[in-house]
Amino acid sequence: MARNKFTRSILLWLALLPIIVVILFPFAVMTLTAFKGPSEVHDPTWWPSVWRWENFPEMWVTSGFGDALMNSLTVSGLTTLITICFAVPAAYALSRFRFVGNGAFRQFLLVSQMLSPIVLVLGLFRLTSQLGLIDSKFTLVLIYTGFNIAFGVWMLQSYFATIPRELEEAAWMEGANRWRTLVSVFLPLATPAMVVTAIFTFINSWNEFVIALTMLRREDNYTLPLRVFSLVAGRYTVDWHYVMAAALVASIPVAILFSWLQRYLVRGLALGAVK
Amino acid sequence: MQKKALPYFLIFPSFLLAAAIVLWPLAEIVALALHDVNRFGVLRDFNGLDNFTALASDPDFYAALWRTVEWTAGVVFGTLIVSTPIALILNEDFYGRGLARVLIMLPWAVSLTMTAIVWRWALNGESGMLNSGLRDIGLLQTNVQWLAQASTAFPMQIMIGILVSVPFTVTIFIGGLSSVPPELYEAASIEGAGKFRQFFEITLPLLRPFINIALVLNTIYVFNSFPIIWATTQGGPANSTDILVTYLYKLAFRVGRLGDAAAVSLIMFAILLAVTLIYVRLAMREEEA
Repeated sequence: MARNKFTRSILLWLALLPIIVVILFPFAVMTLTAFKGPSEVHDPTWWPSVWRWENFPEMWVTSGFGDALMNSLTVSGLTTLITICFAVPAAYALSRFRFVGNGAFRQFLLVSQMLSPIVLVLGLFRLTSQLGLIDSKFTLVLIYTGFNIAFGVWMLQSYFATIPRELEEAAWMEGANRWRTLVSVFLPLATPAMVVTAIFTFINSWNEFVIALTMLRREDNYTLPLRVFSLVAGRYTVDWHYVMAAALVASIPVAILFSWLQRYLVRGLALGAVK
Repeated sequence: MQKKALPYFLIFPSFLLAAAIVLWPLAEIVALALHDVNRFGVLRDFNGLDNFTALASDPDFYAALWRTVEWTAGVVFGTLIVSTPIALILNEDFYGRGLARVLIMLPWAVSLTMTAIVWRWALNGESGMLNSGLRDIGLLQTNVQWLAQASTAFPMQIMIGILVSVPFTVTIFIGGLSSVPPELYEAASIEGAGKFRQFFEITLPLLRPFINIALVLNTIYVFNSFPIIWATTQGGPANSTDILVTYLYKLAFRVGRLGDAAAVSLIMFAILLAVTLIYVRLAMREEEA
């Protein structure tokens, strides 16, 4: 039996091999280029002759990476905070109250989740420029929050629905009021769901591109994706080793976080589809 | 009375913000689409459907529309074909399955902009590693300028699109496969059905609703996808890889044809709404079943 599983493992890995090669190819390109010296970047060789770690501090200084990192952290952090503060009460209402409009609100969430920023970008741009809010990180936070709320409420309410009501009811029986029950029974059970939703909101805002491209003007307001894009677009000479170093530094932490968390997303999606 | 108002009080902030970010700009776009607008965004006369007729006589619009169909169909069906066997494999029990899952999910974790920029470099005509890699294994004699013409750039963009859509789709399929009761397969193999017949007569019908959901959601995501094309070719060379979203972006923020851009937005909105309605119906049928 064990031998059987062993041969089957080899066969299945062989079957997966082509797609894994294609998936790893851009990561290899990114990593290898990030370590090449300026003289060999344009050589069609695979391996750098020397692993040039200096690329990273040099890139940091020349590309304004630090500012962009701070901007991305600020924008994504604030977006996450506000989204959670708004979405948790709404998700609680959806999963614990019967009220007229419950269904309509769900439909509204679903539809607003389907509307992507790109379809609305022109309207958003006009709106913000009329209000004089263009080229501001906080405008970005507001827009990101608006787009993430639907996803957040949806994820949270599907988790909340799995928390047994009996626990809360038991607390009421013992004389705790609604608020006490919420704080001492419900919220501790809901914390994992809130953490997961928060992290996905963070990653969404961290990776967003179109709205940032449209709303931000001054380079010192750029978020990371925009910063890296601006190192490539509309330039005659591109320092690809710096670009790849920047892409690597910007991607790896999120990639690790995501790989660790993707199974929670899977569960949330599955619950969302069933509920 | 107070108790009745509580749930509305709880959903109100979320509703307000989401509605402001969705409905308000939508109203702006409708106003733009129905007016003559100068390039600084000043509304002049109401001109009914003139912006739409202007689009209808623009060959670039039709080219972008048709390319959007190719792009969406190519990526969505390509993803379906690639994802099904991967999901079946990842649902088996084998050594290193955890690692295999993480590897397959990897493209999901990196922002589309970064992925597209890395590919832009990998596809570089002179020094790109795709050319050198393919030459090393003997598949290519001379360098190909991948992004210099639409005939090679666009298929490559579709390939990147498939690659980044696979993780989500596989995720949905694995969820579906894990809901198939194993007894069904046991019963089928006792009856003498081979693996092949089991796939077509048990797995596929039970996976059906999950395939539908993945098709609709992927259609929406891919239809709206901007960074892959923008960060590789910006719709070029000479607008030959433009899809509706990049065409819209250029109309609005490069050429300043704001009224026409708003009309494109509304056309896209109508298409999206139709697809969303299909999704809601499928999801509801799912709930009844």
